[in-house]
Amino acid sequence: MFSRVRNAKLSHGNDESVTILTDSLLLQRAAAGDETAFDTLFYRHYDRVYGLLYRLVGSRAEAEDLTQEVFVKLYKQFMRKRPFSSNPPPHKHNISGWLYRVATNLGYNAIRGRTRRWQRDTVLVPDPQGTPGAEHEVEGRERAAAVRAALSQMPQRDVQLLLLRQTGLSYAECAAACEVAPGSVGTLLRRAAENFREAYQTISGEQPPAADR
Amino acid sequence: MNQPNEEFQDVYDQLSALAPGSEDAPRSAAQMLASVKRAAAPRPNPIQNLIRSFNMTLSRRATAVSLLVVLLAVVLLSFPAVRAAASDFLGLFRVQKFATISVSPEQIAVLERMAEEGLTPGEFEIHAEPVEIGPAPNLSLAADAAGMPAVRTIGALGEPQEIRVMDGGSGTLTINLEGARAIVEAAGVDPLLLPDSLEGAEVNVTVYPSVQQMWADEVVMAQMPSPLVEYPGNVDTTVLGEALLRVLGTPADEARSIAQSIDWTSTLLLPIPQEAATYREVIVDGVSGVAFDSIDSSASGLLWQKDGIVYMLVGQDGIETLLGLAQSLR
Repeated sequence: MFSRVRNAKLSHGNDESVTILTDSLLLQRAAAGDETAFDTLFYRHYDRVYGLLYRLVGSRAEAEDLTQEVFVKLYKQFMRKRPFSSNPPPHKHNISGWLYRVATNLGYNAIRGRTRRWQRDTVLVPDPQGTPGAEHEVEGRERAAAVRAALSQMPQRDVQLLLLRQTGLSYAECAAACEVAPGSVGTLLRRAAENFREAYQTISGEQPPAADR
Repeated sequence: MNQPNEEFQDVYDQLSALAPGSEDAPRSAAQMLASVKRAAAPRPNPIQNLIRSFNMTLSRRATAVSLLVVLLAVVLLSFPAVRAAASDFLGLFRVQKFATISVSPEQIAVLERMAEEGLTPGEFEIHAEPVEIGPAPNLSLAADAAGMPAVRTIGALGEPQEIRVMDGGSGTLTINLEGARAIVEAAGVDPLLLPDSLEGAEVNVTVYPSVQQMWADEVVMAQMPSPLVEYPGNVDTTVLGEALLRVLGTPADEARSIAQSIDWTSTLLLPIPQEAATYREVIVDGVSGVAFDSIDSSASGLLWQKDGIVYMLVGQDGIETLLGLAQSLR
């Protein structure tokens, strides 16, 4: 349940060990009504959930709204007594998997709700004239639009895996979020990366700079 | 954080174009957390809205006073009509009927002054606060969770959109005779109407689990077994009922007449501020009940008791609509 971590910064130079509660234990405490445990879970995952949703929807306001929705679902799911729920008890949940799965689904629902948004983004580039540094910004926007357009042509699970992994999730967390076997994540990622390269090349006419391809 | 596998670094580099820049940073985590908790808080249902609309016409202090009045009503109504031989005999009171009394703004002001003077009839200790058990997938499971043999529903409205089960609650009022007498005296009533045996008397109130069904247009029906009050049985409730009516502003002769016509062992008195709602007696579900409209026309409600179950039906389309819906109860 506990991870014993030595952390020089946290201990202010003293050789103290700092106890970090696992997500699982925090969730159990939250389910028992411990608001502080819920707060800790929230602070732990807020940035990454927002980052994932921003990557998906490309809008700060929308990503914020969806992030709020994710955590509201978390709160309602686990912070209230649910005697009729067939869900497994909280400690059986991989909470990061649950969070990023819900976030991805909400993000995709939002995208479906505004059909062809990604395609529209590829042409709705602001007029750069007269804006300092605009050339660089436009280039960045065009690149982002091309990446989104490529992703829009890929299966949801491939996109989900790539974005989760790029956001920094472990293979185990990616597996939980995508509901696949942990051992298959490497293979699925490889396939998703290939799909992305092909889609991106088709859309932009250029290949991503290969690293170790 | 785990670093992505370098095998796909080219892909991750491209995906990094989607990452939020500094100008896309979200609001602070603390602000977002506060928003999450606000959004996750249970949404007040129309019954709560109706109660709120009652209270909105009163000042905060007056609201506290109206609660005090309701509390006093519970106390005074909790004694049996027949004096018991033994002073420690415990009687039972269950709500079977409702009686309403309108409370004028002037009387609310009188009650406010009582509150300012710190007059209370005693200490109320809550043992278990009613909390929401949770949403139920169907009426059968809701009935099981609430410990009710069955739950009735409005056939004309079809399946409810939401079914919620609230847990029960309980509390004990320990009477402070001095405070109770002071309240009665402030209302112009002889304080010695309250006998010495009331000092320290305990009244236990039990509220049972309830089931709420919600439909479109904010129509809500709540039902619960009639609340139970256990009390010491050595007080003349007719006299106490009269005192209560006087506290609520009823003239002396009228209060005496009304007090003698009410069966105080089974009737719950509902003091309704004139500025909050109007009310009238109606026949609903084959029994006598109370219908009320909030003054701001935002909500209407029906309240009745049948076969040991107290029902409340609330909506926004007026009393007649609610009476029509109640005809399809099944």
